[in-house]
Amino acid sequence: MAEQALPASDIAVELLVEAGLVLSSSLEPATTMQQVARLTVPRLADLCVIDLLDEDGTIREVAVAASDPEVAQALEALRRRHLLDPDGEHPVARVIRSGEAELREEMTSMLLRSFAQGSEHARFMIEHRYRSAAVAPLLARGRTLGALSVLRLGESEPYQAADLDLARELARRAAMAIDNARLFAQVSSVERRLEAILVNLAEAITLTDERGHMLFANQAAADLLGAASPLELTSAQPGTTMPRFVVQDEHGRELGLEEMPSRRLFAGERPEPLLVRNIVRATGEERWLIARSSPVLDPDSGRILYAVNVFENITQVKRVQVAESFMAEASRMLASSMDYAETLQRIARLAVPQIADWCAVDVLGESGEIERVAVHHADPAKVALAERLDSGYHPTLDDPVGVPEVIRSGRARIYTDIDADALAAYARDDAHLELLQAIGATAVIIVPLAAPARTLGAITLVSSESGRRLSHADLDLAVRLGRRAGTAVESARLYTERTRIASMLEAALLPGSLPEIPGAEIECLYHAAGELNDVGGDFYDVLAYGDGRWLLVIGDVCGKGPRAAAVTALARHTLRTAAMLGQTPTGMLRTLHEALRRQPVGADLCTVCLVTLEPLSTHARLTVTLAGHPPPLLIDTDGECRPVGEPGTLLGVLDPVDVHEVDVELQAGQTLLLYTDGLPEAGRAVPQRDEQRRFELRAASAQPTLAGMLERLEHAALRRAHGKLRDDIALLAVRLAQTGTGAASPRRAA
Amino acid sequence: MRGAGRTLAKVASPAWFSGKIASMGVADQLQIDVRHGAGRVILSLAGELDMASAEVLQQAIDAEGLSGETMVVLDLQQLQFVDSTGLRVILVALERCRDRGQGFAITPGSQQVQRLLSVTGVADHLPTIAVADEVLA
Repeated sequence: MAEQALPASDIAVELLVEAGLVLSSSLEPATTMQQVARLTVPRLADLCVIDLLDEDGTIREVAVAASDPEVAQALEALRRRHLLDPDGEHPVARVIRSGEAELREEMTSMLLRSFAQGSEHARFMIEHRYRSAAVAPLLARGRTLGALSVLRLGESEPYQAADLDLARELARRAAMAIDNARLFAQVSSVERRLEAILVNLAEAITLTDERGHMLFANQAAADLLGAASPLELTSAQPGTTMPRFVVQDEHGRELGLEEMPSRRLFAGERPEPLLVRNIVRATGEERWLIARSSPVLDPDSGRILYAVNVFENITQVKRVQVAESFMAEASRMLASSMDYAETLQRIARLAVPQIADWCAVDVLGESGEIERVAVHHADPAKVALAERLDSGYHPTLDDPVGVPEVIRSGRARIYTDIDADALAAYARDDAHLELLQAIGATAVIIVPLAAPARTLGAITLVSSESGRRLSHADLDLAVRLGRRAGTAVESARLYTERTRIASMLEAALLPGSLPEIPGAEIECLYHAAGELNDVGGDFYDVLAYGDGRWLLVIGDVCGKGPRAAAVTALARHTLRTAAMLGQTPTGMLRTLHEALRRQPVGADLCTVCLVTLEPLSTHARLTVTLAGHPPPLLIDTDGECRPVGEPGTLLGVLDPVDVHEVDVELQAGQTLLLYTDGLPEAGRAVPQRDEQRRFELRAASAQPTLAGMLERLEHAALRRAHGKLRDDIALLAVRLAQTGTGAASPRRAA
Repeated sequence: MRGAGRTLAKVASPAWFSGKIASMGVADQLQIDVRHGAGRVILSLAGELDMASAEVLQQAIDAEGLSGETMVVLDLQQLQFVDSTGLRVILVALERCRDRGQGFAITPGSQQVQRLLSVTGVADHLPTIAVADEVLA
């Protein structure tokens, strides 16, 4: 106390100002407390100690200042060794407990000993002549953080109330500084934890507000949204990010900003997760994302402050799913129809827009011309463009590039990054270029329509306005499609071809139309049992035979297929020729038998029924000759029927052939029905009973027209066979008109 | 006369046929039982002899080394149905036996079988015995 003391109030102001400066200069409590403690010495104290309360209630000394640094050090060490008892009588502990400052103007040795933490502590305090103490609590936001103690030693002036006030004020400011520093540290630490979590998540996460500002984005979001860093996203203007992408739902419909879950959240809805097809305009890369948004609410008002948006990238999974479901559907289509032109059109429609923006299918025709059988785009106006392109600049098989090249080589091609130069190089003239530009292809895949043995055509996939890049995954899918479609088309073609041939053959085997017989009605019916491709062995004919006579023929060649067809043709034409030559029925049958015997290989069996018909004034005279064939039925007007004719040997294997010509009269209104054994044998599993057959005949003959009767018989046979005939049915019937000359009745063509 | 016979497996288990049976799918349609004895070979047919199973009978006739026997008998007693294809096999067998100087006979089949034989006028060409073991008169 050698120097001239300043007025106490000036010291106080000075001290507080300096403390203020120190406390605002740093956020490090350790540093600032030390500085504050030092400020008080020697102006206010000989010794200053600042204690802070730990989380667990321990009183820990954080700063000590003294005129003599050794003293400070010694006290520091001592306090570390002997922590103050929080429940004890040491003034610091009391002040921390009560939150009230305490002034000890004079402290006796006895007093010092009473609150010392052990004898060493007591000795220290006594040795250094602790005289006066002012202890103020560090209070912030209603909580005691610790205590500030100022001490005068030895001969120094004891503290007064004003000094306690000063200590209190100092402590208050120190406490505030500590509190802020702690809060700041807490926030930083929380932020850091959050950051650590979000940054490392694979999902893209953003935080947006009502106006669309992105307040936070993690690295995954930056990567997803094509930004160099999260900062680029958070500093971008709202509404500038989304236009970088083509955003669609899974059906190819463009999605507006207001449909995004984050926007809908702010509109008061509770949006479902949204599946989004997202194509980066700049690169054409396609991604599939699931976008989810959750609200962050204001705890007081419940208002939505922010939307937390998560984008899950499911591109791989979705791509595989899209490809598989496409292939499954395409395969189903290909298997379901033999009309391959129609099927290819349906497949083209299926491929758009999920697989490509355009799909076209071309097929190689018989004479090497390329025919477009399908083209599809979501916009019909664009389809018209493609048609103009095709008709105006139709590809020919020797074109160096494109569909013709793929058909010739049988190899798949993919063209990516088609730019203006590429189009210009490919275009034949300006009009062509214009059309190409209007179509706007950015990538093209052409794959062969591949049947096992040859290439039938090509499938073209084009990416245009979506800008979607076509990848090798797309190429693989297209190649698979090309193979499946090619195989299906080839099968369909072969089937159609066989059917065509079968029809041609059948036409040769059955008469196109029957001649008119005056006074009589003639009808025929043929029902093939097997597939269209199994040419049958049944045949029938109606020929003019001599003067005013007619010959009705029905026959059945054993077997089916090309061999049987050939024999059937032989049988029919041999009989026609023999009839033309005027042979008797017996003669005709023997001639046919000889012809069959002379066949090079194997035994070709044939049964035949010949009926000659001579219309007279009131009735008709018939002869019936059978060679192994079931007897024709004479059906009376009341429906009763009886077989006519005698059994004879079937032709083609056994010698001699024994046949008999039997005379029969056909009265007006009566019907003679010739048939092949497919009719009675239909539905073999249930043995055919004569009773049932008679019943059917009676019912059928009740039909007013002859054609109707034959139909009824056919239906009855089908019913018996439950729709599955084992043998063909051929029916030939002649009915003598009731009165005079019969008018021509509609012929049933074969 | 019953000789030491050996029963072949039913057509369903193709012991002596190739996979052809599987492709024709005739497993249950025709059963052929072969017996040898007293210089004759008897093929007993049961089921249906039609376009699907005719080939099987043809193979049985071709395969069994029937040429050594004096007589071939087709026992049709258990045969329910025959169509023209089946008939052809029977007639071809008849012809071959004749060419080889072998005897050939059938036993009567079901009503349908008999009707077919009658309609096709072959009944008189096919020697018929009442029972397979019977000696021809």
